[in-house]
Amino acid sequence: MMVAVEKDKGDSLMEGDNVYIPHVMKIEKVIEETQNIKTFHFNFKDETQKAQFSFKSGQFAEYSVFGVGEATFCISSSPTRMDHLEFSVMRVGKVTQAIHELQEGDEIGFRGPYGNWFPLDSIQGKNLVFVGGGIGLAPLRSLIWNVLDNRDIYKDIVILYGARSPADLSFKYDLEAWDKDDRVNMYTTVDRGDESWTGRVGLIPPVLEEIGPSPENTVAITCGPPIMIKFTLQSLEKLGFTHDQIITTLEMRMKCGIGKCGRCNIGNIYVCKDGPVFTYSQIRNFLSDEF
Amino acid sequence: MGYKKIKKDQLNTFLSELSKDYTVVLPSRSGGQVVFAPWDGKNTDFLDWYKNTIIPPKALFFPPVEEMFRFRKGEEGYEIEELMPDKRQQIIFGIRPCDARALKIIDMLFADTYKDPYYLRRRENSLLVGLSCNEPCDTCFCASLDISPGQSEDVDILCTDVSDNLLIEAISEKGSNLLSEMSGLSDAGSEEESKAKEMRKSAKEKIARQINLSGLQEKMRSNFENREYWEKASKKCMACGICTYVCPTCHCFDINDENRKKEGKRVRSWDSCKFPLFTRMPMENPRHEKWRRMRQRYHHKFEYYPMNFGTIACTGCGRCIRECPVNVDVTEIIGGI
Ligand SMILES: Cc1cc2nc3c(=O)[nH]c(=O)nc-3n(C[C@H](O)[C@H](O)[C@H](O)COP(=O)(O)OP(=O)(O)OC[C@H]3O[C@@H](n4cnc5c(N)ncnc54)[C@H](O)[C@@H]3O)c2cc1C
Ligand code: SF4
Ligand code: SF4
Ligand code: FES
Repeated sequence: MMVAVEKDKGDSLMEGDNVYIPHVMKIEKVIEETQNIKTFHFNFKDETQKAQFSFKSGQFAEYSVFGVGEATFCISSSPTRMDHLEFSVMRVGKVTQAIHELQEGDEIGFRGPYGNWFPLDSIQGKNLVFVGGGIGLAPLRSLIWNVLDNRDIYKDIVILYGARSPADLSFKYDLEAWDKDDRVNMYTTVDRGDESWTGRVGLIPPVLEEIGPSPENTVAITCGPPIMIKFTLQSLEKLGFTHDQIITTLEMRMKCGIGKCGRCNIGNIYVCKDGPVFTYSQIRNFLSDEF
Repeated sequence: MGYKKIKKDQLNTFLSELSKDYTVVLPSRSGGQVVFAPWDGKNTDFLDWYKNTIIPPKALFFPPVEEMFRFRKGEEGYEIEELMPDKRQQIIFGIRPCDARALKIIDMLFADTYKDPYYLRRRENSLLVGLSCNEPCDTCFCASLDISPGQSEDVDILCTDVSDNLLIEAISEKGSNLLSEMSGLSDAGSEEESKAKEMRKSAKEKIARQINLSGLQEKMRSNFENREYWEKASKKCMACGICTYVCPTCHCFDINDENRKKEGKRVRSWDSCKFPLFTRMPMENPRHEKWRRMRQRYHHKFEYYPMNFGTIACTGCGRCIRECPVNVDVTEIIGGI
């Protein structure tokens, strides 16, 4: 079974546009997910721009705080819900710190969407297994909501989400909604519990093996920290998933987001325009292991 | 159109005529360096001393520092003002065949998928007048890369220095149109034409340095994981990045903001894969070690670029050999694989 992952063909850009000029967008809401992750709801200031904008789950953009600089984040909301857009940011450095200081009503620069997307067409009619760790749920939740908004065209859905501790769980409102949704098999786990935690305790890979989803007519989609991905891939292989049945996203340092600045390559593959979404078989065929 | 010619001591008149409609930039000396700079309206003595510039002509299209736009916080929020290069036409006079090829090579990248408006605007508004190399440097190896020091398909007009005359040949349609409007040119005779051909041939023969490209991609592939090779090759490299700045095909850049209070600019500047921060991420760095960065530079030029764009991203201009403070030599490194 082939899951086809496409390349970014640059069609989000209109004739005559300067690709480096960001849209000025307004922050509408700030959600404190954990002590170092925040989610921002944001919107176009201009209604025409808003109406023209479209994206697909899995794509990313370059976000900027004017005067501080740009950084790369996925669009974490679903294209089926275009009332506003969302992105979620873990505070790790200069730009992410400045983003964390933003408040409702503040403005950001936004250019995109860039990169390829999850192969919505080729996962139709299949069972889906989503495996997310920490902030890695951000790109996945875009796809999950996209799928749930068209629930009928997919088969069984399993979502497994894990974080280091209960305090590190992001998107708790989503986790609750999916937990209540009887069309979804939702599993949440933490590496270490605390006094009040009554849920599952355990690392994602063993929990995944315990749940044991069948690879029959199934696609697994996983995002999270590199170490989690590494062991999750091994667990999926153990469960009988072929490399074509596994989709993940890769992260490399980016600046331009459009294949020009030269830093996001793994061999001849430029993650910003050939990715960030890849099947595991593609990754295994890369000419370099520098990721 | 056949060959035209002009007496070298008449070059001044020719350049003055060009300067009416174009900004003419040509090789000049500035601060002890040879650079492309707007013509001062007088000097044409570069014909006597010019070999090539240290900073490659890519800088005329993709400047070391480019202000992309200005932002300002006003009553209604942020306003953005695009800073595009002006539309004035420029002529790059004296570009060498290798450097003209280098522009063709990076055109592919800047025009790919998402067009780079700054680079492409300057390219569209420029005309290249090439100057054949009669005396290549001992660091040149363009001939190995299918570039002839005396000939070029990548310029609009090509000039060849033949004793007292400059032989002028239109290469592109743009070049031909321009030449047909110029006064002060006379038709070259067959004697001069054959002299020019001879000079081109002898220039090519003077190129002693070579690299062997046959089977290179396969060789590079199987050598990729030879860490020992790359550690040895990068041992003396100081990661100063000079080789990438002087390289006419290196195109990597960084984007940063400069600001004062409520206004500022977004600026892009040359960056280098030789710097460890280039690929640094919060938790990891795929090319932290120097040997990986050395490997990246050569694999990018000789393997990845050919895979993605169908051409090697090196023209054999020899700048990286000449300017490297510790004598790292691309021909040795590629040759040793
Ligand atoms: C396709 C893609 C999608 C992504 N999606 C998301 C997402 O949805 N959410 C998210 O949170 N992240 C996401 N990321 C990661 C995000 O882009 C980075 O975390 C972000 O760019 C960091 O920016 P920063 O300016 O805050 O960090 P920087 O300040 O650039 O620094 C990062 C780290 O490097 C160190 N550092 C920086 N400069 C120096 C220096 N000069 N010397 C020494 N150390 C230095 C800092 O100490 C810090 O630890 C994504 C990345 C990619 C490629
Ligand atoms: S110029 Fe020489 S020393 Fe400097 S980075 Fe290049 S190879 Fe290394
Ligand atoms: S790698 Fe060296 S020789 Fe090749 S084009 Fe660049 S500077 Fe010139
Ligand atoms: S982010 Fe610039 S090339 Fe990929």
